[in-house]
Amino acid sequence: MKMTPAAVIIGSLLLLAAIVLVVVYVPWATRHDAPSEIFRSRSDLEAEGRLIYIANGCVYCHSQSIRTIDWGHGAERIAQAGDYVSDQPILLGSQRTGPDLSQEGGEHPDDWHIAHFINPRYTRPNSIMPEVAFLGEDKLQALTAYIQSLGMTDADQRMQRQIYWKKAATDAYEAGPDENVKWLSENIPQGWRDLPNPYPTTDAGLARGHLIYQQFCIGCHGPVGDGMGPAQPWLYPPPLNFTILKNREISGGILYYQIMNGITGTAMPYFKRELESEKIWDVGNYVAVYFIDDSDANAEPHGIDAAYEPGDVNR
Amino acid sequence: MTTGESTQIRTYPTALAFCITSFFWMGVATFMGLLGATFLIAPDLANNVSWLFFGRVRPVHVNMVLFGFVTPGLLATAFYYLPKVLDTELYSEKLGVTTVLLWNVVLVAAVGSLLAGHSQGREYAELVWPVDIGIVIVFLMVFVNMIMTVKHRREPILYVSVWYACAAVVLTSVTFSLGNVIWKPDTGALTGIPDAILLWFYGHNIFGLLLTPLSAGVAYYVIPRVVKSPLYSHTLSLLGFWSLIVIYTHIGTHHLLQVPVPTWLKVISIVDSVAMVIPVMAFLINIWYTAKGKLGAIHEDIGAKFVFTGTIMYFFVSIQGSMMALPVVQRITHFNNWVVAHAHIGVLGFAGMIALGGMYYILPRVSGKPLYSRLLADLQYWMVLIGMIGFTVVLTIVGLIQGNAWYNGETVYRVLPELQYYYVTRAMLGLLIFSSAVIGLYNGVRTLLSKPGEAVS
Ligand code: HEC
Ligand code: HEC
Ligand code: HEM
Repeated sequence: MKMTPAAVIIGSLLLLAAIVLVVVYVPWATRHDAPSEIFRSRSDLEAEGRLIYIANGCVYCHSQSIRTIDWGHGAERIAQAGDYVSDQPILLGSQRTGPDLSQEGGEHPDDWHIAHFINPRYTRPNSIMPEVAFLGEDKLQALTAYIQSLGMTDADQRMQRQIYWKKAATDAYEAGPDENVKWLSENIPQGWRDLPNPYPTTDAGLARGHLIYQQFCIGCHGPVGDGMGPAQPWLYPPPLNFTILKNREISGGILYYQIMNGITGTAMPYFKRELESEKIWDVGNYVAVYFIDDSDANAEPHGIDAAYEPGDVNR
Repeated sequence: MTTGESTQIRTYPTALAFCITSFFWMGVATFMGLLGATFLIAPDLANNVSWLFFGRVRPVHVNMVLFGFVTPGLLATAFYYLPKVLDTELYSEKLGVTTVLLWNVVLVAAVGSLLAGHSQGREYAELVWPVDIGIVIVFLMVFVNMIMTVKHRREPILYVSVWYACAAVVLTSVTFSLGNVIWKPDTGALTGIPDAILLWFYGHNIFGLLLTPLSAGVAYYVIPRVVKSPLYSHTLSLLGFWSLIVIYTHIGTHHLLQVPVPTWLKVISIVDSVAMVIPVMAFLINIWYTAKGKLGAIHEDIGAKFVFTGTIMYFFVSIQGSMMALPVVQRITHFNNWVVAHAHIGVLGFAGMIALGGMYYILPRVSGKPLYSRLLADLQYWMVLIGMIGFTVVLTIVGLIQGNAWYNGETVYRVLPELQYYYVTRAMLGLLIFSSAVIGLYNGVRTLLSKPGEAVS
């Protein structure tokens, strides 16, 4: 074959044109732009927040693309083409340095996001996300509105739940510690409230609890458990001061349930995705022993001991 | 090689200007990469300064690597070899030097706008419209210069490097304009899933229709020159060139295998990602057989040493790439640092190495002065090589940790502490690569400032 300039230039341009036709134009021409069942359009504030998201390159660390194999945030809802019909540009992302945000809306109340944006290590001590406080209050509001819209109508439902319980939690908090603790406990199923921590306190268990506390809780509840972690100024109701819980009938079951399930409406997140059962018991008992100074670990009734537990072989 | 080159001493201001551009922006680009890597281990170091936010630093790194370091470096060599193999002068050195000046203006505008938070948010297509236009203009200026040089050639036969250089520049002008949706200045994007398809058609072709053909052109020139033998096979050249253009261009959807795009498009992209062995091996066999038995000559010439290493990296990155296009593999490797490792083997190990090799090969020839220090050049070679292989090892490990942990149901947050030490190692390797860029720049500048010696050519 003789390679003339025309053969090289025109030939390769023609090939490119044919390929663009097949792999770009045809998918475009045959696209289905019917919105999916969770689709809704964005408010002005949310759209403004999206521009801030784009300008600051959040997309390099966060995908918005839930796959069939995913477990984390949003795994309940695999992405569909109809979710993206108003996205210009689409922000699928290519790295998950941080979690997928497709269904982030309503995972947390607004105050959690503001504290997190001011400095991610306030709410998430091990985070490597950079701080975004430089945006200033207005832009942070817009960005938060956008984040809370991710997941569209699914997110709206979660947000309604957050707002509903935020009011209840705020009322309880403002009624003073007695009322607040009563409110916190009374929303927990009775079975959990009656349940003592079935495992004994051990040095190893406390050491594990300490580590988990530092990695997950310290930014809010603070190093001495008084609720004065660095996130505190941005959260309302503020993180619980554990030292007020003494003599208020806080069982191991209550602590376990609250840590596992979180308290929707407050900044207290659920940890059931991140901590396995033993870790939740360990951190709960760490809180009980060191901050509440009152632990029911290993109290009756506790069933047959797990194989490795110290103590009486007949129990 | 079929050309009879004239022996008179010429000057090559355009090639020289592209060289300086590339050496300089390699320093900037790798510094930005180092900065980003540092923020991943010490996020508060950015100290709330907006333009140091990771999401702004990262696209500066990527864009400067692509358009500041690698592309100008490869073009430098192209502007040297085109007149040589066409047995003529460059059509216009004036146009060439103007192009380089404008190119640098565009790069400064790109850095400034990205750091100031003007981004269109699409990977490899972040730049805002005026900068996009600037890039298209400089590419077209390069193309005009090339094609006019071809027109005024005295050598009737077009050597394979010429095909690659001309095709790369003209095709990239087109894919860049399409990929940046240049007809929509405000968003620079389509809507929904078609936007993703177009973006990855384009993003993929930054490697496939810009870096790869320009690198191949340099390798096709430097290796036969240094080993002083004719190219192994014209047929393989033809096969490699046309199959690259046909196959590489249409497999961009392998970046979207886990996204709701049409299944037929995914199938095509997977199958033909495997078929990529055809253009890859046609090129490599051609180069390697040309050099067969003459590795001594390659080892002696610092330029050829870089270039030849680059071809070996091309082998690895392509075989790895074909594997990564398989859905079973991508289940683990997608969305994590495995892909970042791959990207560095490709862009630094293959295209970057060849860009450096080409520049070291031409630097004494275009400046008429001997290379200031072969030792420093060797040092840079080893630093880039160790840094790049270190990246590959470390980031592949990080990717496997992330991918497997997620697949087993761990959350992203839980896995972060497991990555810390690897990220530290990665930043240290980044420092190595940045230092090598500084050494290269120093070596280049000292070469140019030294007293005029004998022209090497
Ligand atoms: C360097 C990468 C990086 C960048 C850039 C980044 N993030 Fe993050 N992001 C993370 C990591 C890591 C986490 C997980 C730890 C945490 O929650 O802080 C995270 C978590 C989050 C979460 C909480 C998810 C949850 O657990 O519910 C939100 C919301 C978020 N990021 C939003 C943003 C926004 C908005 C931007 C852009 C202004 C941004 N991120 C930029 C890395 C990043
Ligand atoms: C983002 C801040 C934040 C983080 C992180 C956080 N908490 Fe909380 N926590 C709160 C807030 C806010 C409340 C509820 C305050 C209220 O309603 O008065 C709370 C309440 C609780 C309660 C409820 C006590 C009761 O009597 O019902 C427990 C237990 C608790 N947190 C334990 C933890 C543990 C253990 C961790 C770490 C694994 C943790 N928290 C992490 C903010 C946080
Ligand atoms: C020739 C055979 C190649 C194949 C089949 C291939 C395949 C792939 C695939 C499937 C991905 C997507 C991975 C994922 O997101 O899960 C990818 C990413 C990438 N490849 Fe390759 N690759 C090849 C060669 C190259 C070369 C030669 C380069 C560089 C010059 C390169 C640079 C990149 C880069 C930079 C990315 C990252 C894109 C991103 O930002 O997500 N590849 N490749």
